[in-house]
Amino acid sequence: MSDEHKPAVKAGPAPVHGLLAEYDTPSQILHAAKEIRKAGFTKWDTYTPFAVHGIDEAMGIKMTILPWFTLCAGLIGLATAITLQWWTNAYDYKWIISGKPFWSIPANVPIMFELTVLLSAITTLVGMLLLNNLPHPSHPLDQVRRFARVTDDKFFLMIEASDPKFDDVETRQLLESTHALAIEAVLEDRVTEEKLPTGLVYGLIIVAVASVVPFALAAKARYTKSDSPRIHLIQDMDSQPKYKAQRENSFFADNRATRPAIDGTVAVGDARDDDKFYKGKDGAAWARTFPSQIALNEATMDRGRQRFGIYCTPCHGQIGLGDGMVAKRADSLAQGTWIPPTNMTQEYLRQMAVGELFNSISNGVRNMPSYAAQIKTEDRWAIIMYVRALQRSRSGSVNDVPPDARASLK
Amino acid sequence: MAKVSKVSKGSGDGSVAGGDNIRLAELGQALFVKAAGVGIVALGISAFLGAGEKDGWNRFSHSYLVAFVWVMTIGAGALWWVTIQNIVNSHWSMVIRRVGELIASNALVLAVLALPIVLPLILGNPVMYKWADSTLMQESEELANKVGYLNPKFFAIRFVVYFGFWALLSRFFLNRSLNQDKESEATAAKTVVTMRRVAGPAMIGFAITITFCAIDLIMSLDPKWFSTMFGVYYFASCVLAINSSLALSLMWLQGKGRLTSSVTVHHFHDLGKMVFAFTIFWAYVGFSQFMLLWYANIPEETLWFKERFANSWGTLSWFLLFGHFVIPFFGLLSRWVKRNKKALAFWCIWQLVMIYVDMYWLVMPTLGVDEVPFQLIDLTCWIGVLALFVAGLAYRAKGLDLLAKNDPRLPKSLAFENF
Repeated sequence: MSDEHKPAVKAGPAPVHGLLAEYDTPSQILHAAKEIRKAGFTKWDTYTPFAVHGIDEAMGIKMTILPWFTLCAGLIGLATAITLQWWTNAYDYKWIISGKPFWSIPANVPIMFELTVLLSAITTLVGMLLLNNLPHPSHPLDQVRRFARVTDDKFFLMIEASDPKFDDVETRQLLESTHALAIEAVLEDRVTEEKLPTGLVYGLIIVAVASVVPFALAAKARYTKSDSPRIHLIQDMDSQPKYKAQRENSFFADNRATRPAIDGTVAVGDARDDDKFYKGKDGAAWARTFPSQIALNEATMDRGRQRFGIYCTPCHGQIGLGDGMVAKRADSLAQGTWIPPTNMTQEYLRQMAVGELFNSISNGVRNMPSYAAQIKTEDRWAIIMYVRALQRSRSGSVNDVPPDARASLK
Repeated sequence: MAKVSKVSKGSGDGSVAGGDNIRLAELGQALFVKAAGVGIVALGISAFLGAGEKDGWNRFSHSYLVAFVWVMTIGAGALWWVTIQNIVNSHWSMVIRRVGELIASNALVLAVLALPIVLPLILGNPVMYKWADSTLMQESEELANKVGYLNPKFFAIRFVVYFGFWALLSRFFLNRSLNQDKESEATAAKTVVTMRRVAGPAMIGFAITITFCAIDLIMSLDPKWFSTMFGVYYFASCVLAINSSLALSLMWLQGKGRLTSSVTVHHFHDLGKMVFAFTIFWAYVGFSQFMLLWYANIPEETLWFKERFANSWGTLSWFLLFGHFVIPFFGLLSRWVKRNKKALAFWCIWQLVMIYVDMYWLVMPTLGVDEVPFQLIDLTCWIGVLALFVAGLAYRAKGLDLLAKNDPRLPKSLAFENF
């Protein structure tokens, strides 16, 4: 590197950094490059406004190692993605997402692909800059006026004085033989200061300190408590001057915003004054017949069977014998706290009024909770109709069998 | 922009006038005879083996379909390739454009090769495609709803449209290209413009036809299943196939003393880059198709993959993933591989074989067997269909120039340098 620590400003001319030759066309610089390479120089370079085809060969430049950087970075990206997703989802905090396995590779592939590409791309860019010794705050060539045309339409070649074969006279002669437009001695940079400009330093310090502020604020918010509400910038229609149902209102004596309903208020259509249908009661006693709203036909029986199958079979079993899955499980656990569900086909239940059965479903009985929330009133009656059918099925006699089928029983 | 003369710099003397052989001549005739012979014998053996299965030609049809759609990736891929070179006005590929045009112009041969599959279908024989018989589609409402599209009559029209369009388009490009050989410089430049103008809309037509052809021939084997990415998936294989085939064809031609100095290591390098790029593209598209169906986990869609993950089909799936993507990815990564003819030939052949495995994986599970049933009949069908395709190609190409010698972009192509 040519810019080592500079001694204090010396008197006398600055030492020569190198010899610069200027050319007009790509073919000229190609030819010149070949000559310089043949002459055996090692510390030299060409500068062109665009990529000149064949210059690598002419200069004898070896293939760059940058692709290896990219490969390594890509593999690191891939490994990072796999490890990150495995560790966060399958190890540190196991979390089921969409019913997929904890470590589900197909779902991990997009991130694996993304991190591979991201790290490869960034490394390629940064690697390219670093391999070119960039960023480079200053270079002796910046002091040469004609060099400004390198970004326009001129091609340059510079041989550094630190090259072992460099000689003030012979090297200049060699460059002249390549028909350069101009040859200039480039001097070491005594003009540019080595230190960073103070303004830049202060600026960097300020930016560094300022960039800590958001994190500090976040930390403060996370670890301190506050009584004041959040800062609410966009209000929209969030705090409206109205009374909500459960709020205070000092206008009324009881300080409530809601006025209590008048005793006996009932929603429209919700009177439920049909005691037989809604409570299973016939006057003071349990109803012994089905309410008139229930059509005692096959459709109702079918509905009852279906609803029974949904709500009742877990405890009472498929045919009401009290041997449902829940009961079996409780028996096998044998914790001593279980009261078995009723066998619906027993004699006393066959004698029980349909209204009382209805009450058991609606309000619960013993350990059985109320099913009023899950089962509509009509469906409860349909279930009871089906239960009656189940009871009948366990208490039939040979006289119930049609005459023509009786023979097959014997 | 530096002016480049016809006798150009770059590798080799590069000039056609410098004596590059650009005619197949007797070699073409010999190739035609040999390939036709091999093709007929191989397909004869296939037919014999197929008849021996005594299953209404079910096994034969499946083997033949795999071979056919494999060859179609090359043929349709060639048409795509020619169209895209025109759309982007690529200069580097002008030296190999004629070879691509010749492969593309084999579309009618493809249409004829399709007949063993297509004819039974149009005649309503459900040997492979359940929907050839509309009564079979009435078994469920969802299948019955598809009868409007999946019926032999509509398919016949579509078949004519696909291959007719491909035949016309490839004929257009080849004829214009051949005419350009004899035109003056000014007219040749106009021909370039004409071809480019047609190429734009033609690409849209190609996209539509290749998508629906893949859907009709492969996806409809299981009429219950569907994937909106299927067309793209098949297309990826087309691009991979043509780039591999072009590289191999040019190496073979150069081995026989044709185009020896016109086509340089730089052109092979670019073809190699394309094979590499589209290996990745195939994996990308294939994985996209898989991941979305896997994630949604809807039985209607996952049934297709379930078949392909069961038993030895699962092994084949892993083989496909590693063989078609992971290994060639690392194999084709380095610059050196793409500039070394032997290495590049190896990977091109590898990928063409893997495309066959891919087609096999797409088609064969509908045969309904639990394990991968690779047999001699698959091999003979493959060789037979490929040989007949090559025969048609050789017959067409034998009297024609293998180089678009009058194209204004040719000098740049001859001087093409790749880093």
